[in-house]
Amino acid sequence: MTPAPTPAASAPEPAPPVLDLTRLTRRYGTLTAVDDVGLRLSAGARHAVIGPNGAGKTTLLNLIAGTDRPDHGTITLDGTDITVTPTARRSRLGIARSFQQLSVIADLSVLDNIVLAGWPHHPKRRGAWRSPSRYRLHTESAGRHLETVGLADLAHRPASTLSHGQRRMLDLAAALAGNPRLLLLDEPAAGLTDGDIGRLLGILGGLPASVAVILVEHHVEVVAQLASSVTVLAAGKVLVTGPTQEVLAHPEVRDAYHGTGSTAGPGHARGTGIPTVRPSATEAASVTEARG
Amino acid sequence: MLELTGLTAGYHGGTVLHSLDLSVPAGTVHAVVGHNGAGKTTLVHTVAGLMRPSAGTVTLDGHEVTGRPAHRIARAGIGLVPQGRRVFAGLTVDEHLRLSYRPPHRGDTTRPSVWTPARVLELLPRLGERRGNRGTDLSGGEQQMLALARALLGSPRVLLLDEPTEGLAPVLVRQVNELVTTLAAEGIAVLLVSPSPAQAVESARALTVLTSGRMTLRMTGEEARADATSLHAALELTATAV
Amino acid sequence: MDLLDAHLIPAVDGVAFGLLLFVVAAGLSLAFGTAGVLNLSHGTLYAIGAYTGAELSDGTWGGLALGLAAGTAAACVAGAGLSAATAPLARRGHLAQALLTFGLALIGGDLLIQFFGADELPVRVPEALDSSVTLLGHRYPAYRLCFIVMAVLLAAFGTWVLTRTRMGAAVRAAADDPQMLAATGHSPRAVHTGVLAAAGALAGAAGVLGAPIIGPGPGTSETVLMLSLVVVVLGGLRSLWATFFAAVAVGEVQTLGVSVAPDLAPYLLFAAMAAVLVLRSRFAEPATAHGPEGPAPDPVARLRSHLAARLRRRPRGAAGSGAAAEAPGAVEAREASEGDRIVIAPRTGRSLLPAWTGRLPGGAAWRQAAPLLVLLVVLIALPALLDAYSISLAGSALALGLLAVSVTILTGYAGLPTLGQTAPFAVGAYATANLADAGWTVGPVQIVLSALAAAVFSAVVGPAVIRARGTTVLMITLAIGELTGAVVNQLKSVTGGADGLVGFPATRALWGGEGMLEESELYNYALVVAVVAVAVTLLVLRSPAGKLLTGTRGAEARMRASGHPVGRYLLVAHVCAGALAGVGGSLMVTVQQYLSPADVGFEIAAFALLAVVIGGTTSVIGALLGAGLIVATRDWVAGSWPGHGPLLLGVLFVATVYVLPRGLAGLRSGGSGGGSGPSRDASRAEDQPPPAPLSAPAGKVSP
Repeated sequence: MTPAPTPAASAPEPAPPVLDLTRLTRRYGTLTAVDDVGLRLSAGARHAVIGPNGAGKTTLLNLIAGTDRPDHGTITLDGTDITVTPTARRSRLGIARSFQQLSVIADLSVLDNIVLAGWPHHPKRRGAWRSPSRYRLHTESAGRHLETVGLADLAHRPASTLSHGQRRMLDLAAALAGNPRLLLLDEPAAGLTDGDIGRLLGILGGLPASVAVILVEHHVEVVAQLASSVTVLAAGKVLVTGPTQEVLAHPEVRDAYHGTGSTAGPGHARGTGIPTVRPSATEAASVTEARG
Repeated sequence: MLELTGLTAGYHGGTVLHSLDLSVPAGTVHAVVGHNGAGKTTLVHTVAGLMRPSAGTVTLDGHEVTGRPAHRIARAGIGLVPQGRRVFAGLTVDEHLRLSYRPPHRGDTTRPSVWTPARVLELLPRLGERRGNRGTDLSGGEQQMLALARALLGSPRVLLLDEPTEGLAPVLVRQVNELVTTLAAEGIAVLLVSPSPAQAVESARALTVLTSGRMTLRMTGEEARADATSLHAALELTATAV
Repeated sequence: MDLLDAHLIPAVDGVAFGLLLFVVAAGLSLAFGTAGVLNLSHGTLYAIGAYTGAELSDGTWGGLALGLAAGTAAACVAGAGLSAATAPLARRGHLAQALLTFGLALIGGDLLIQFFGADELPVRVPEALDSSVTLLGHRYPAYRLCFIVMAVLLAAFGTWVLTRTRMGAAVRAAADDPQMLAATGHSPRAVHTGVLAAAGALAGAAGVLGAPIIGPGPGTSETVLMLSLVVVVLGGLRSLWATFFAAVAVGEVQTLGVSVAPDLAPYLLFAAMAAVLVLRSRFAEPATAHGPEGPAPDPVARLRSHLAARLRRRPRGAAGSGAAAEAPGAVEAREASEGDRIVIAPRTGRSLLPAWTGRLPGGAAWRQAAPLLVLLVVLIALPALLDAYSISLAGSALALGLLAVSVTILTGYAGLPTLGQTAPFAVGAYATANLADAGWTVGPVQIVLSALAAAVFSAVVGPAVIRARGTTVLMITLAIGELTGAVVNQLKSVTGGADGLVGFPATRALWGGEGMLEESELYNYALVVAVVAVAVTLLVLRSPAGKLLTGTRGAEARMRASGHPVGRYLLVAHVCAGALAGVGGSLMVTVQQYLSPADVGFEIAAFALLAVVIGGTTSVIGALLGAGLIVATRDWVAGSWPGHGPLLLGVLFVATVYVLPRGLAGLRSGGSGGGSGPSRDASRAEDQPPPAPLSAPAGKVSP
């Protein structure tokens, strides 16, 4: 029940896992959103969690981030049991997340959003609430994070004026602003355009090797490009866990996830000879392939 | 027959849907395909009366219903199966059926067919087994069936389906597609909205590609089945043009 | 057995009282849960029924039946009227609707007194019931037993309608998803109107039948509103059973409690509510992001699931504290080792940095400060312009202004709309009066100690307030304010009870000075204190700390996920706002040189919130101006039309809500007012209309 995917990079020495989930279960009424899930990530792991809507992916992220509490099971970060630790403290321990439903502070500027996100993690956080000079130190590192996601030019715009794609990037920058050890990404590519997805892949590809990432994503292409290991959830249960290529090639997964069991590639819908184009960008690539 | 002319709608200050013309004859499926953010749900909400269009008209069998409150539009015969199902959390399946059952007025013989709870349960037998369960206790597929049942019990002339197969297992996707075909055969005009053309192409008589709220391609189902290239070209454009 | 014997009668009385509250509170809860209207005029609906019933009661069954029909119908019509009045505000969120009902309650209360007089009306129950029956050896009024039966029937009927009929299903569906209800062909508007009318009818029927228990009089609506709010807060929303048990519990506290522990009775209700709220907030811990699969469950459901989870889970104290102990070290170590972690982009943005850190250009800063300076100049000049009476009014307005500013901090910045800041205001006021009585007459000492006392009070009740969001906060804080008022009335040794306090030595502005007696002296003292307090407030709100609050209000889940102890921020804001209100209370005592419960009562709470609404919820200067306008209305305008202060204020309330959606600050389109940060409505996400569907990203709005 507790498969331990080891990314290709990890050395054979028994390094303690960054994150260890054991028998995690969360029920809402009669619905079991997360059912006896185990997962172990070492530092620098790039792990994806995929599965159909309602499979419990976001609930799993919420349990790890602390916005929800499990009914059973334990969550261990760097050997410390954080199962009942509040969200804010988990963040200060190094867990950061992006949100599927975008969460930006509309009343503040883009820059202030990132300053606030990085604040509890900044070495000079004490006294920054009253000292403008210390606050200014925060704006420098926040500015760097904005450059990372390509929003530096918009630093002084109110966050409410950003487009959907820009808000996604802002949310990502807010997650990165805490220099996390464990980054939880909840559908970071949802609703993004081609260019944005390219930038997203660039940003995530450039993350420091020591950061462990859990990626919940519908776009198989994004998963294939970023993740070295994958867990497939279905109805809250782990269907299969393993290296990305193996898992994506797994017949059961293809059937459950792509809706194709027989045809050549994941990009083809049954019978029509027409590639399934999922919302947004990377599909452009798959479409081109199909035609070429 | 559902007809939209010059339909334009948006949220405070921003137009999401730009002057869309579209007609769905009774008994056919018209698919609207587009990426997230292309304005598909805005289209559905505007037709259903959940949003007020800023310009243009919605006509149902020759009667204009533009700008009427949502419940009047529902009574006029437009049934909505919304994205995400949105079944009532606290109501049992039975209560859903009772609440939604609205037989047409006596003398109103223009409805394609009259749906009673018994007939809906015949079509969707799975719901019959879960009659005492609350909406939130149902699986995704069952919730989708319930949302469909809710729309059907108004004996609609037009059915608006907003991403009805989102997140469903393949076997259920097939089932939903078959249902759509069955319902169209009953004489209902179906407006199907989907991010993926696969479902659309299978059953649609006509197909519209929506890009940033504007129609960028209109083709018949046969054309779409025969010529996938231009459809995909249009969708590729969708991906990059935003 | 003796104990049971002695308290049997109050216990049965408690059941009758509890049932009465249940019928009233169920309507309040239903209207809030379904139509989203926190009906602060619900007590007035009861009063309408009670007055009508009393007026028509003539000791016959016919009189009772006629009264029941007329009272129910009148309150039902009033409820439908409320629906019509609040419907245009539906887009503006629940806070505006609640404020409107508050204004209507003021107007309605005044009109009732016009029609029926200011005295309590006697009620004549049918003669057949005007006797007593023997109950386990005790004599008990027959009417009350009859009332218990009728209330049970009423409650059972209401429950049956709600849970077993198609109409009830529509009501529950409307509470859940009004858009989808509309899509099934039912008008949510009609359901809302029906619910408010039914809630009115229930309150009216309860008023007629309950008139012999809570009789019609000037204080009726307030009492009933307060008690039913307490019931709803205790019972949570949407569960009728919880409301029922809470109602009976409150009934027993009010009757059995008084008989068992007369000395403690005034505080029992307060203590019970505080206990439940604190317990509930414990179990409702992660009050954060909406799940992706739908809206967050209501707080009660969350409480229940958490309660269940806690009960199932084994204690894990050791692990938790271990994590707590290791945390700071871990964070530090991490920071030390990873200064260069995520530096992906080249540092080409140097040139941008000065721009980010730059302040406002001088011109803009002046433009923002100008209104404050103008106000300051006017305030300084006032003593030269006004007569003594008006100057003392201006002093009171300053005190009320500080109260309003404290409400602005909570409502506009922290996103906690409050009707309970009169509680710390009262604590500050009574602290100063008692200090003066004990010989501590130096102004700064009084101010600081009063602020401290109010801060401590706010820290104690804070945990109950800060876990809730949106209109629920309004409800909880109102209950806190009202219960504080009740305690003020009871705790005679400290507060002088209903007589108030008078004759304590005058405040001295500084050590060694003389007691201030001149109006202009007092005014100048008040002005200095107010200026210092407002200046400190503005500095804090405009500092990065203000951004922390704005962030918490704007995206709480993001703030938590970024490591901000959001609860602590809100508590600190609550305590600071409490201290500010305490300073206001202290000033008021100093300026008025007497203190009565009315100075810290329901009306003052309404005034403060009205001032904030007039000012535009996030504008400090607006709150001050609002306070001035209110005092002017209450004491100058109403002075020429005695007894109609509430009516005028109610009209002002209603007019403000309708005409000035964003208050005075909204008039200055584009610019943000002095000291104002965010310009949006204070209500949180839960109060906003449903978010735009994802397919319509805001990106379409951007140029």
